[in-house]
Amino acid sequence: MTFVAFIFKNLTQRPIRTALTVLGLSVAVGSMVALMGIAKSFRAAQAASFEERGVDLVTLRGGDAIQLTSEVPEWVVHEVSTWPEVKAIDAALVDMTEMQIREPRNADDVPPSKPVIVQAWLPINFGFGDMDVLEGRKLEAKDEGKYYTMIGNEFAKSVNKKVGDTITILQKKFEVVGVFKTSNFTERGGVLTLLKDYQDLSGRKGVVTGFSLRVNKTTSDPDAEVEAVRQRIMALTNNKGDSLRLTPQRPEQYLDNASHLKITAAMAWMVSAIAMLIGVISMLNTMAMSVLERTQEIGILRAIGWPRRRVVQMVIGEALLLALVAAAFGSIGAVGATHLMSLFPQVNTLIEPGIAVSVLVTGTGFALLIGLLGGAYPAYRASRLLPTEALRHD
Amino acid sequence: MTNPTDFLLYADAVAKRYPDGDVRALNGVTLGVRPGEYVAITGPSGCGKSTLLNVLGALDVPDAGAVYFKGEPLATRRDLDTFRARQIGFVFQSFFLMPTLTARENVQVPMFEGPLTARAERVKKATDLLELVGMGHRASHRPKQLSVGERQRVALARALANDPPLLLADEPTGNLDSANAAKVLDLFAQLQKARGLALIVVTHSDEVAALADRVIRMRDGQIVSDCAPATTTARTVSG
Ligand SMILES: Nc1ncnc2c1ncn2[C@@H]1O[C@H](COP(=O)(O)OP(=O)(O)O)[C@@H](O)[C@H]1O
Ligand SMILES: [Mg+2]
Repeated sequence: MTFVAFIFKNLTQRPIRTALTVLGLSVAVGSMVALMGIAKSFRAAQAASFEERGVDLVTLRGGDAIQLTSEVPEWVVHEVSTWPEVKAIDAALVDMTEMQIREPRNADDVPPSKPVIVQAWLPINFGFGDMDVLEGRKLEAKDEGKYYTMIGNEFAKSVNKKVGDTITILQKKFEVVGVFKTSNFTERGGVLTLLKDYQDLSGRKGVVTGFSLRVNKTTSDPDAEVEAVRQRIMALTNNKGDSLRLTPQRPEQYLDNASHLKITAAMAWMVSAIAMLIGVISMLNTMAMSVLERTQEIGILRAIGWPRRRVVQMVIGEALLLALVAAAFGSIGAVGATHLMSLFPQVNTLIEPGIAVSVLVTGTGFALLIGLLGGAYPAYRASRLLPTEALRHD
Repeated sequence: MTNPTDFLLYADAVAKRYPDGDVRALNGVTLGVRPGEYVAITGPSGCGKSTLLNVLGALDVPDAGAVYFKGEPLATRRDLDTFRARQIGFVFQSFFLMPTLTARENVQVPMFEGPLTARAERVKKATDLLELVGMGHRASHRPKQLSVGERQRVALARALANDPPLLLADEPTGNLDSANAAKVLDLFAQLQKARGLALIVVTHSDEVAALADRVIRMRDGQIVSDCAPATTTARTVSG
C-alpha cells in the first residue's frame, strides 16, 4: 500500500459525504472554469473576427474604450480612405437602441421594445465584401434615404423576420432587404443600415463612432507600415490646427482595453472568487467533520509512531484528492455546459463550445488551492490530537 | 545497585499526576525490563497500570522521574514518534484497526515510519507477519469481516511491523473469549521465544499473569509486589 492509496481509502470511509463534497466542489470549480472559459472565448472570437477581416488598426476617439461611446468626424474617414497606404476602410456609427416589437396602435400607444445593436455603415465599407448574404441582397449607395436594412442571421432568428418585413427603430420603419452573416457576433445579432439614414434619424450628422482599416503592405516590415499609418492618424488636426485626439490601436491592444471585455473578465473573476470562498468553506467543513470523527483513529496513528507531519500530510492529502476529483468533474461539466449553451440561439452567437486548456489548468490550480486552504486548519487540528486521549476510554 | 544500562527499558521513580480531578496516577514507580523478558502488570482498576504503560511507551511524559531505553533517557530524545514507530509495538484492548483497510494494509500502516521504502517490500513483510500470527488466509479481509480474536491477531502483526524489541499490551485479551485469548497468549509466548521480544502486558487475567516471567502488582499508583508468578512469597517493594 502506498501513502496515496491509504489517503484514497480514507475517503471511502464516508462515501456519501465524499460524493457530496466532490459534487459541491465540482459545481464551484465548474462554474469558475465555465465563466473564465466563456470570457476567454468571447475575446478570442472577437480577435478571430479582426484577424479574418485583416484589420490592422481600430480607431476610436481618444479616451474611449468602446465604439458605443466614441465619436469621430466622418470627414476623417473619407480623408483617410484616400491615403495610398490605406487599402480599405470600414467605418460605422454603432448604436444600442430599442426596437419596437410591433406597430403602435394609436398615437398614445407605446409598444413593447427589445434592445438592438444598430450598425450604420458607409457603402464603401470592406465589411460588405466580407459578409455572406443568406437572403435578399446587400445595401448599396443608391439605397440611401430609403431606410432599408439588412439584418443579422441571429437577429432574424430571434425576432422571426425575413426579407420584405419591416422593423421599427427610433419610431422609423425600416424595410428588410437582406439577411447576412459575418464573423462578428454583434453584427450577426443586430441590424445594419446605411450611415446617412441613421445619422439623419438619430440627429448625429457627420459623425461615426469609429473606423477600422487595412494597411497596404508593400515592404518586408509590415509592422512599421502599420505603425506609420497609426502615427499619421494620431497627427490629424482640424482646420484650426487642433489635434483630433484619435487613438488608432492594433486589434489586440483594442481588445485589451475594451471595457466590455474587461467587465466580462472582471465578472468571471468575481464569480470565481465567490465560488472559491464557498469551496474553501465546504472543504473546511468536510475535513473538520472528518477529523473530528476520527479523533481516536488519528490518536492511534500517532501512538504507533506517526509524527505530526504525516498526520498533516494525510489530511491535506485527502483534501487535495477531493479537490482534484472535483476539478476533473467540474472541468468535464463546464465543457459540457458550453456545448449545451451553444445549442441555444439566445446565446450561441456569444459562446463557442469548448474551453481553453489554459483555463482548465487554472481551474485545477484553483481547486488545489481550495484543497490546501480548506484542509490546512483541520490538518493542524488533527496533528494536535493526543494518543493518550485516543486511548483514554480503551 | 541497579543501573539503567542493564535493562532494555528502565523506569526510575516515575510519577504522574492528572490535574483533572487531582489524581496521583503514578507515585514513584521504579521498574526495569530486560531484553526478552515477559512482564505482567496487574492490579485493581484505576491503580495506574495504563498510565504506567503510556509513560513506558513514550506516549506520555512523567511529571517526575525518568524512563530509559537501552540506558538512554527518553526525555533527551527529540523524535519520540520515530522511537515509538521503530522500538515499540503497541497492542490495545479494542484493537484499533483502520476500518477501511484490509488486514494486510492495516499491518503496513506503521511501516510508513519504518525502514522499508519499497511498496513491494512492505506488502511482503505484512504478508509474512500475517502468516506468523496465523492470519495469512484472511489478509484481504477488512476488520468488520473478522472475528474479534482475528482482529487482535492482525493488531499483533501490526505491532510487529517494524520489528520492535519491545511489545506493550494493555489488556490485550480484555475483549476476547477464553479460546481466542489463549491463542493470542500462545502467540505472545512464541514471539518471546522465537524473536527474543520483551513483553509488558497489563492484565486482569490470572492465566495471562501465569505465563509471564514476572508479575508486578500495583495499587494506588505504586508497585506493591514484583515476583515470579509461581512464587507465593512476594518480594515486597518498599515505597
Ligand atoms: N487523562 C486523565 N485525566 C485525569 N485522570 C486520569 C486520566 N487518565 C487516567 N486518570 C486517572 O488516573 C488513575 C489511573 O488511571 P489508569 O492508569 O487508567 O488506571 P488503570 O489502567 O490501572 O485502570 C485513575 O484514577 C484514572 O481515573
Ligand atoms: Mg487501564
